[in-house]
Amino acid sequence: MTATRLFNAHIIDPSQSLNGIGYLDVVDGVVNAIGLDTPSKSGKFEQLIDCQKSCLSPGIVDMRVQPADPGAEHLESLSTLLAAAAGGGITALACLPDTRPVIDEASAIDSLCLRASRIGGPRLHAYGAATKGLDGHEMAELGLMAEAGAVGFTNCATSINDSLIMRRLLAYSNMLDKPFIQHCEDHALTKDAEMNEGETSTRLGLLGSPSEAEVIIIDRDLHLLRRTEARYHVAHISTRAGIEAVRQAKAEGLAVTADTAPPYFLLNELAVSTYNTAFKLSPPLRSEDDRQAVIEGLADGTIDAIASDHMPVDRDAKMQPFGPAQPGASGLDTLLALSLTLVHQGHISMARMIEALSLAPASILDIRGGTLSPGCSADFILFRPDSGWIVKSANFISNSRITPFELHPVQGIVDATYVDGTAIFLRD
Amino acid sequence: MTQGDTTGVQSHKQTGPAKLANRHLLGIEGMSPLEIRSLLDRGHMFADNPHDGVSDALHGKTIINLFYENSTRTRVSFELAAKRLGGSVLNISVAGSSVKKGETLLDTATTLNAMHPDILVVRHNCSGAALLLSQHIDASVINAGDGRHEHPTQALLDALTIRRRIGRIEGLKIAICGDIANSRVARSNIHLLGTLGAELRLVCPVTLLPANIGNMGVSVFTDFESGIEGCDIVMMLRLQTERMAGTETPSQREYFNLFGLDSGKLMRAAPKALVMHPGPMNRGVEIDSATADDVEKSLIRTQVEMGVAARMACLEALVTRLA
Repeated sequence: MTATRLFNAHIIDPSQSLNGIGYLDVVDGVVNAIGLDTPSKSGKFEQLIDCQKSCLSPGIVDMRVQPADPGAEHLESLSTLLAAAAGGGITALACLPDTRPVIDEASAIDSLCLRASRIGGPRLHAYGAATKGLDGHEMAELGLMAEAGAVGFTNCATSINDSLIMRRLLAYSNMLDKPFIQHCEDHALTKDAEMNEGETSTRLGLLGSPSEAEVIIIDRDLHLLRRTEARYHVAHISTRAGIEAVRQAKAEGLAVTADTAPPYFLLNELAVSTYNTAFKLSPPLRSEDDRQAVIEGLADGTIDAIASDHMPVDRDAKMQPFGPAQPGASGLDTLLALSLTLVHQGHISMARMIEALSLAPASILDIRGGTLSPGCSADFILFRPDSGWIVKSANFISNSRITPFELHPVQGIVDATYVDGTAIFLRD
Repeated sequence: MTQGDTTGVQSHKQTGPAKLANRHLLGIEGMSPLEIRSLLDRGHMFADNPHDGVSDALHGKTIINLFYENSTRTRVSFELAAKRLGGSVLNISVAGSSVKKGETLLDTATTLNAMHPDILVVRHNCSGAALLLSQHIDASVINAGDGRHEHPTQALLDALTIRRRIGRIEGLKIAICGDIANSRVARSNIHLLGTLGAELRLVCPVTLLPANIGNMGVSVFTDFESGIEGCDIVMMLRLQTERMAGTETPSQREYFNLFGLDSGKLMRAAPKALVMHPGPMNRGVEIDSATADDVEKSLIRTQVEMGVAARMACLEALVTRLA
């Protein structure tokens, strides 16, 4: 039996409404006791850690990470992906299936999870591709993938635009008790689009993607959801209209959840003005009004979760004119610090932020994490929310070093990341 | 000299090269009225003295024309402009070059950079390509058209053409008609003519109107005849069929019917209204031949001629800045 006590920590655990100076006792990788009161002197601890009032919270559960491995290991191997996640305070992550080969069958899920467990680090979960080869037409073997441990199904960066297939996917996912994760985009409306449609796209001569492309798919899916019982999740939501649709659906009692990512609450389309391809993302950076709506949605809980939307992109695919450049950016190293911006700016409380980064995604995917209740796995992080640094992609642990936040000043440093009570990351 | 009509022209006292704030000429947006006027004044002078060796500013300088899209008039115009100023010109067209072998834009830039050109004139089908090149090359870059973004020397030559014929730009009513969405010429002209105080109208089918363009200081019309009503200049744009997805207009027949310029529709413009077109024209699609070739009303040939003078002013300004 090994026992560790962390004391003099600023405990933040929204699942137990804990927010104050307290302690955490971990025995054999499991939370034994947690509280804001002075801990009892009794009990023998192999390790006593004075946290010096650092924040201690459940680890981040990142529900949207695109691995490059298998298929494009030169961009990012599973090892650097997991190391970067650990350094970013992430104790569990859910991987998108857009790899080579596509994760559209049980053996691919097995293989990814097995390799991750050999490497160690954060808990790795995998989504199954909703359709074979992500082609959008033929349903993949969802049942077999669910048995292999798939935590949900998604067609990655493309929407299921065929309504009949979408209806069946929703129903079938629900039969397996898994959520369906949709990237919402009417692809006919965004054909050839290069950025968000508006005055900026007009000035830059770039083809615009109208923000309605998101809500059109959300609205359709919500109609299907009224007829088909299912758990439906909107990924990286980015528009006011889309958020409003989710808000109303929640009020109506539908099983809808949503996440967003830091670019959508910290940046807007004006960032594209210099044609810098680091700002080319999918969905595209939206208008300032949309950005405000994302913040409001996070504050009132319409948007449940924040994910990194980590996507390794080849530098050569970015060293292009804006149009042909590939969308996507790195996100693991910066997720916590960028999310803390909302706290520092007074938009959301620290507890709400931890909930969005941890409890909410864990409960959407029904996976371990998100809470430090006694009896739960001791997956937690220590961080100093006020320590400032400048984002420099050259210093990322991740090998994926394209970020729209290069040289962005941020506050918030992760000092340690624990999974099952064992440190998987300790800052020097 | 077909452009010899200089009635009402303002005096152009400036004698030296135009002065530019930037090392590159990437677009009109952001240029000051002073910079634009100094280029136009100098262009005016070059137009008056096209062969006289007024300047050998480009003597000993190398100018590379790098064209990723086909072009006759713009490329030849730059070549002629550079040669008249004593420069040596190298033309690279993408067909038959290493670009066809898969070389990226930036690798091409690096290669060309090693040859130490003084000015790189580039046309590319992607918006922002000229800016990207300028960030990776030591030479001054002139944007000869990037995607749907800007074509600054076209706007300068258009303004020079108008100024030589009418003597001013301020206060003129100018209609820009046609495929606005896909046109870099339209965007550069909106910036330039707006900066110099013209009243701008855009006339086009609503499907070829880019988002929020009303914020750029223009009024928008989707009815051709009311759009050109009382206008001093009717500037027609080429229907950019190569950039279109095929659903913007039902047919060329319908397009000409609703948005093509003929002598009948031109009656709605001001009595002495002049017609412009950046070329190449789709005769019978956006403009009928009788109107295009009407020497009284059409400035289209003068535009081509002014292209050389305007580009001489730009090239000279940039090398002077380099020195």
